[in-house]
Amino acid sequence: MKKLKPLYLFFIAGFFPLQSFCQNATANNSSYFSNPLFNTMLAVILFLAIIILSLSTVIKNVADSDFLNKKIKKDNEGSGNSLKAGATILFILSSLTAFSQNTNSNDSWAIGGLDSFTFYFMLSIILLEALVLGLMFYQFKFLLRNHVAEQKAKEAKETDIFAGLTGAVPVELEESILMDHDYDGIKELDNDLPPWWKYGFYLTIIVAVIYIYNYHFSENGALQIKEYETEMAQAKLEVEEYMKNASNMVDENTVTLINDAAQLEAAKEAYITSCAACHGRAGEGGVGPNLADEYWLHGGSIQEVFKSIKYGWVEKGMKAWKEDLSPMQIAQVTSFIMNLKGTNPPNGKAPQGDLYTEKGITVSDTLKISSDSLSALPMKDTLK
Amino acid sequence: MELQKFQYDNKIVKMFAYATILWGLVGMLAGLLAALQLVIPALNFNLPYTTFGRVRPIHTNAIIFAFVGNGIFMGVYYSLQRLLKARMFSDLLSKIHFWGWQLIIVLAAITLVLGYTTGKEYAELEWPIDILITLIWVVFGWNMFGTILRRRERHLYVAIWFYIATFVTVAMLHIVNSIEIPVSFWKSYSWYAGVQDALVQWWYGHNAVAFFLTTPYLGLMYYFLPKAANRPVYSYRLSIIHFWALIFIYIWAGPHHLLYTATPDWAQSLGVVFSVMLIAPSWGGMINGLLTLRGAWDRVRDNVELKFLVVAVTAYGMATFEGPLLSLKNVNAISHFTDWTIAHVHVGALGWNGFLTFGILYWLIPRLFQIKLYSEKLANMHFWIGTLGIVIYAVPLYWAGFMQSSMWKDFTPEGQLKWQFMHTVTKMMPFYIARSIGGTLYLVGAVMMTYNLIKTIKAGSFKEVDEDSAPALTSEYQAHSKDHWHRWIERKPVQLMVVSLIVVAIGGIIEFVPAFLVKSNIPTIASVKPYTPLELQGRDIYVREGCYTCHSQMIRPFRSETARYGEYSKAGEFVYDHPFQWGSKRTGPDLARIGGKYPDSWHYNHMYDPSSMAPNSIMPSYPWLLEDKIDANSTMAKIKAMKRLGVPYPDGFENIALADMENQAKEIAASLEKDGIKTLPDKEIIALIAYLQRLGKDIKAENLKAVK
Repeated sequence: MKKLKPLYLFFIAGFFPLQSFCQNATANNSSYFSNPLFNTMLAVILFLAIIILSLSTVIKNVADSDFLNKKIKKDNEGSGNSLKAGATILFILSSLTAFSQNTNSNDSWAIGGLDSFTFYFMLSIILLEALVLGLMFYQFKFLLRNHVAEQKAKEAKETDIFAGLTGAVPVELEESILMDHDYDGIKELDNDLPPWWKYGFYLTIIVAVIYIYNYHFSENGALQIKEYETEMAQAKLEVEEYMKNASNMVDENTVTLINDAAQLEAAKEAYITSCAACHGRAGEGGVGPNLADEYWLHGGSIQEVFKSIKYGWVEKGMKAWKEDLSPMQIAQVTSFIMNLKGTNPPNGKAPQGDLYTEKGITVSDTLKISSDSLSALPMKDTLK
Repeated sequence: MELQKFQYDNKIVKMFAYATILWGLVGMLAGLLAALQLVIPALNFNLPYTTFGRVRPIHTNAIIFAFVGNGIFMGVYYSLQRLLKARMFSDLLSKIHFWGWQLIIVLAAITLVLGYTTGKEYAELEWPIDILITLIWVVFGWNMFGTILRRRERHLYVAIWFYIATFVTVAMLHIVNSIEIPVSFWKSYSWYAGVQDALVQWWYGHNAVAFFLTTPYLGLMYYFLPKAANRPVYSYRLSIIHFWALIFIYIWAGPHHLLYTATPDWAQSLGVVFSVMLIAPSWGGMINGLLTLRGAWDRVRDNVELKFLVVAVTAYGMATFEGPLLSLKNVNAISHFTDWTIAHVHVGALGWNGFLTFGILYWLIPRLFQIKLYSEKLANMHFWIGTLGIVIYAVPLYWAGFMQSSMWKDFTPEGQLKWQFMHTVTKMMPFYIARSIGGTLYLVGAVMMTYNLIKTIKAGSFKEVDEDSAPALTSEYQAHSKDHWHRWIERKPVQLMVVSLIVVAIGGIIEFVPAFLVKSNIPTIASVKPYTPLELQGRDIYVREGCYTCHSQMIRPFRSETARYGEYSKAGEFVYDHPFQWGSKRTGPDLARIGGKYPDSWHYNHMYDPSSMAPNSIMPSYPWLLEDKIDANSTMAKIKAMKRLGVPYPDGFENIALADMENQAKEIAASLEKDGIKTLPDKEIIALIAYLQRLGKDIKAENLKAVK
């Protein structure tokens, strides 16, 4: 047990370089800790480190159980190796700081939002850990084989793996740790805490302290609002980048009537899912106004209809669809709606708003204002 | 030393065992109905009493407080007497406890069906029942401590530490979370509002899981597992550390239910780190349970109750490992509001609580009735069908949750949301069907057990008392010098209770006091105004119908949520929300900013027949809202109660509240009429529309101003 302590301390020390690592990272306005890939890889590194740690205990225990014979040499070698391996990993980790300062100036984000250096660096740590683990398993198997050869085969194997993982006294010897407690026939053993459990517990406490320090004292970690702002800025950049190269862009100034049958078919589908509930399956109106007549509350030109769909008339219950439908889809739906004119669907809702004629002249400007209020009345009643 | 002869009361154990089985079946059946309603909305039967919003609280309350609750008492009354070498302190108290608890359950079932609810999850019961629960809980504690004080065993076994911690903590949680101002006999408003209410509620909700579903069951495990396996408990030291660490750390973790919400960041971070630190103490229980079976694994193969116990403990380990994972902010951002959470809790409920209860029943009933189990084979079938049920229940829901969350977050390259909310609901159907099948299998298993146990009971003869003898405790006690230091407190039940209370109180106090006293935690927003009387009535209808069981009112600061629902929610928006209605599940979309999004007539039609406005909707219809009248007489009392809670209505407003309400109702009726809907302004639908149209608008107005 005592031999493990230095390793354990090394382990704690390993966190501090990471701390400054992340300080550097925030200079770029986004912490490594907010990157899922980074977190995952870090978790894998820590997880493997725990396994290495506990396996070294197992090896030590297995070796210890033979301490009367020649295996004592191997024992020293065994835990010595894992110690060295652990220390190496942590030294490498601490050197991360120096490297990160050089790489931060580089803005190219490569793999999963991590710059390629960090990614490959962490990957190599994981591989290194895996290698160490492999070696330890090999050593463990070797130890065990020798061990098994000397003692009774199966029993010993089970007991020793158990003993290693849990620090437990073997079942056959448990009389020695049986306490004098007896509750309705239930007795208690005085086994030690399983080492991996104990160190795991310590580790979570350390993680907790670092977490709180990182987010609330050093303020390196991005809290939710900052995280949100970063996400939005990133999304804006991505969309802008996409739009630069996109060919199917259309807005309220450039929209024209679409006659392509396939596109109108797609528009019909979108209309049925998104619009029909309020405006009726055939545009006859319902909760929302009739779309198949010639009267419009907010203008009947293709540009105006496009605008109404895109930005909505929220105070009247018409939702803005720009987050749900792409500009092209809005253009398609607009064309579909323009085509509804004059279809005279059954159960048509009484006209609302102003008459819009093909020439694009709205009948009355005054009524347009009144129709903006909630109390817009059907056109026929108010038209002089 | 003179041996005293005494008896253990088995009758009370038998009564609680019967109640456990009965309520277990009822609770599971309610759960199955709720699960099927999500697939076949017609199963809501167009009746107020059977809609999902009321069935779901009945299911959760029945499982937690009726099934598991009676299970706890069954196990405690059996083990406590034997661990203390004393009969229960008072048979009368035992009887009051039993019948009082069953009365609470029946009252709960009736009131929840009728829509009397506080709208706080797992604490839905109204104030008269809250008081009754407190009284009966005190009776339980009194009876338990009376027994402890008359014990013939010097030291308290670890199971009893867990029972004591359960008793004090549940009392504390229940009382603090249930502080409310009554408006009438079956209606009250939570004393806390908005963010504070959320913090208190999830401190309660999380620790209801901890101290009602976990600690008492750990106590039961510590008795029944070594008994059934006939092995010594693996490690006394581990018991000590995991007990104290568990009860201390658990309390703090509540805010992990509120990650990315409008709760202060520091509280969220505490929720995260304490959840992470909770892994080891939780696993301490699992390890101590599983390692107790060392050298007895061969017996697990042919002993059905051990099989149940082993799977229970394993499920406990899985759920308590997953819990901290779900508490990490980046995982929670995916899992929260989805069916992932539902899958998680059911691994705990079906695996840990259900299987442990079944294991105990299979062990206990043959002993109480002095006969072998009617059919080992049937019990083994129960084990396999139950295990299969858990898998078929949980796995599809994990998948569903992950999938739905991914769809919610999907954007097209143009920057539009890729999926309408309804698409994500329709995609859930196969998973909901699979889940119902898993639940059915589990229920079939429980029915098989019931049959098996009834057959056993019929064939056996009940042993009312067990005889035992032990010397009385002497008042003088000389501790061994070699004793472990912890032995001291095991001799002092009162001190143990007091120390437990202190240990569990710390976390809550540190999290609440700043949230209540420090202004900056909930920045005020000038444009946020109290609800109008009509909106308040509408809000009460929203609470009554359990809308919060499917709809959240909390837009998290994610691009995918602000694009879908509007500006993210701010702490200052909820200051008049008694109780808060943030919800924990989005079977339907978030409603925090539904106000003004659709016309009044849309809501009217939608409540009458949701699929007319939203094709493929699985929401139940609420036709009675179109017929029933608003409870206008209560308006004055409601405004008065709100004023007492500090909601700043002007002086004397309660006197004009009714007139104000009628005016607003007429406006809405007029707006409906314009769209061809003729309705009287005194219908409940009018109030509900008023409330829905108000939601999230206060801050919209401010934004507009800011733009100008």
